[in-house]
Amino acid sequence: MSDINTQTKDIIDIQATSSLREMTTMFFRNYAAVAGLILLITILLFVFVGPLVHTTDPFEMVWAPFTMPMQEGFILGTDYLGRDILSAMMAGGQVSLAIGLAAALVSIIIGVSVGAFAGYYGGLVEELLMRFTEFFQVLPTLLFSMVIVALFGASLLTVTLAIGVVSWTAVARVTRSEFLRIREMEYVAAARSGSARDLYLIFKVILPNALPPIVVQANLMVGSAILFEAALSFLGLSDPNVMSWGQVIGSNRPYILDAGFAVAIPGFAIFLTVLAISLVGDGLNDALNPKLRQR
Amino acid sequence: MKRIFKTVATSVATAALLATSTMAEEPKKGGTLTMAIQQTPRHLNPAVQSGTATGQPGTQLFASLLRYDEGWNPQPFLAETWEVSADGLSVTINLVKGATFHDGAPITSEDVAFSIDTVKANHPFKSMFAPVENVETPDANTAILKLSKPHPALLLAMSSQLLSIIPKHVYGDGQDPKSHPANSEGVVGSGPFKLVEFKRGEHVILERYENYFMEGLPYLDRIVMRILPDESTRAIALESGELQMSGFESNPRNIVRLKKNDALHVSSEGYAAIGPVNWLAFNTKGEKTSDPKVRQAIAYAVDREFINKALNLGTAPTALTGIHPGSPFYDATVEAYDLDIDKANALLDEAGYAKGSDGMRFALSVDYGWPAMKPYAEYMKPQLKKIGIDVAVRSSADFPTWAKRISTWDFDMTMDNVFNWGDPVIGVHRTYSSDNIKEGVIWSNTQQYSNARVDELMEMAGATNDANKRKELYAEFQQIVANELPLYPIFASPYHTVSSTSVGNAPDSVWGTSSPLDRVYLK
Repeated sequence: MSDINTQTKDIIDIQATSSLREMTTMFFRNYAAVAGLILLITILLFVFVGPLVHTTDPFEMVWAPFTMPMQEGFILGTDYLGRDILSAMMAGGQVSLAIGLAAALVSIIIGVSVGAFAGYYGGLVEELLMRFTEFFQVLPTLLFSMVIVALFGASLLTVTLAIGVVSWTAVARVTRSEFLRIREMEYVAAARSGSARDLYLIFKVILPNALPPIVVQANLMVGSAILFEAALSFLGLSDPNVMSWGQVIGSNRPYILDAGFAVAIPGFAIFLTVLAISLVGDGLNDALNPKLRQR
Repeated sequence: MKRIFKTVATSVATAALLATSTMAEEPKKGGTLTMAIQQTPRHLNPAVQSGTATGQPGTQLFASLLRYDEGWNPQPFLAETWEVSADGLSVTINLVKGATFHDGAPITSEDVAFSIDTVKANHPFKSMFAPVENVETPDANTAILKLSKPHPALLLAMSSQLLSIIPKHVYGDGQDPKSHPANSEGVVGSGPFKLVEFKRGEHVILERYENYFMEGLPYLDRIVMRILPDESTRAIALESGELQMSGFESNPRNIVRLKKNDALHVSSEGYAAIGPVNWLAFNTKGEKTSDPKVRQAIAYAVDREFINKALNLGTAPTALTGIHPGSPFYDATVEAYDLDIDKANALLDEAGYAKGSDGMRFALSVDYGWPAMKPYAEYMKPQLKKIGIDVAVRSSADFPTWAKRISTWDFDMTMDNVFNWGDPVIGVHRTYSSDNIKEGVIWSNTQQYSNARVDELMEMAGATNDANKRKELYAEFQQIVANELPLYPIFASPYHTVSSTSVGNAPDSVWGTSSPLDRVYLK
């Protein structure tokens, strides 16, 4: 039994290595994706390395409120309380990106589990799990996450979970369809005939081969989670003790007619980040999806 | 601070000048006034519902016994004359003759007695008529109120939305007045305007009552009160001329912008009786905030001038005590707690909270109940960090969540805005009185403050009609609470009435837009 399993594993590994190399080439041939990747790296550097250089506390009131950008030594100006917007952008970016990643992770864990079991077992299990998925799918996502935050209080954890819980359905559907396809493949049948257990088949045999579209989906999820967090903060439903880009927009929003820059700057940052993530996601999609390679 | 005061003084002077110049004009009859109110009223009967959402349409529909001018002087309304006996234990009211309800039935002393009983039994402000033992009605035009003790708040409690005269033949049918169908539909009122239509979330439409008891009034044919909760929508509608008037405008940015518009008149007059005061309240039973030194230190660390200049843009008068600065009882000589970080640090050291290695002493939370209060709460975080207090801002999903937390004493500090409602007996005592510590009731003494001398002073001031004596008592009261600081008053909410220059006699009495608009006209 173990022989067969090792054998299968080897086959999969060989497939994975060759496709990884091919994928990388494909990806770097796509200029838009490369531009997105460069943009994303720049943003990451700004957000994570920036605070080491620019050490102002984002909550400290350092100057007169609404000092215009590039004045009095404030590159991005100050907000309605006279806090440095540059610091807020760095600290806020860390939080926004972290929430984006964590929320995407939550939705992938839920989505992949549901989709994998539904796709692998089929029948009643599939029926139940997919009805369950549809139940979440028909709920208006923003409203549902608002309800969760309103019920359990606004903290980073609840906001992350709320976003994750409302956005896993797409992952579940993609995973299920991949599983439906792959479970009929010969190497799966081979592994099964070697009396491999279900969990082994699901997570070791089928899932690695179903990963490409899931990875793409996950990537896009990060972007939408960042937007989600911004929307919640904008509505005043995020943790007010943590700076995030949405938070900066939300708290300066009442003054938009007088000091539009305090809203425009974080808005632009969100736009750039989501754009970068989408470009990378698109590139990944093209690179990972063999059927589209001839496009 | 001085400059702000000067600006306020000049604007008051200008407003007075404007007022005299408009008074010289002859009011014109007719026309429709379109104005805004900010929320859908629960219903339209102020006799059993507090709040200005009900008050603004409610005072058009229902007349009260008295009305007040801009200088706190009671004026005849449904009461033609009134007389308080020398011992203060009985008040005789003679009703104006020929006054009728909107269904044509005469307004009699029976209705007055019924209205007072209804308010006493159902209105949340229990102190308004608590000392009224009974109302005698010797004839149809005379009502005599018998009191258990002199009640200085009584005349104010008989004005504006605090005492609506409601028809006994409608509301006396045995149904619960709080949920009576005639509160919202087919309202039979006693005021200058009658109800045409009340559409929730949209508007209240009112029409002139032809047989109104005040000769020649009201001037307007119709008032359309549009329900517009969003302040930006209202500001834009005022600028475009779609709205001609809106009261209770409090967004400093909008006020400053609208003031620059020549077609609009922006006035802060008309809110002295409502008396809104914004403060930072402390839970005086909280672990850290139970120490007056901690509360004083926080007060010294909060920069009122920054708040008034940067957040309020100079639109809000400073408030040093829980009594509104527009009230005759306001005492401006109390400890002001002007910014002094060193003193604040020294007080905290004295209180035994030394700074840790990271410069911090302890953590506290600050709550806010609705979006307009958020900037002030957010301001506390960086500001109090300067004295080593790590402040966490706590947001509430909605108003009831906040109200529950505060009224069950689950808080350290909170931003709040509480109304004086005319006389301190009605709106101020409730905040400080130790027998008003009521679990679950918002805007009771949620600070859980108790001081026997303060209770005594309020009781004495609430039981004498001698204005000078009351002033003295309230002065001592304000000195004590400013020292013990169960709450730190910051400013009086920058409420403004914005009206088009085509509106004549825009309301400027102490009750502002929550008073009958029978003298308002369109030029």
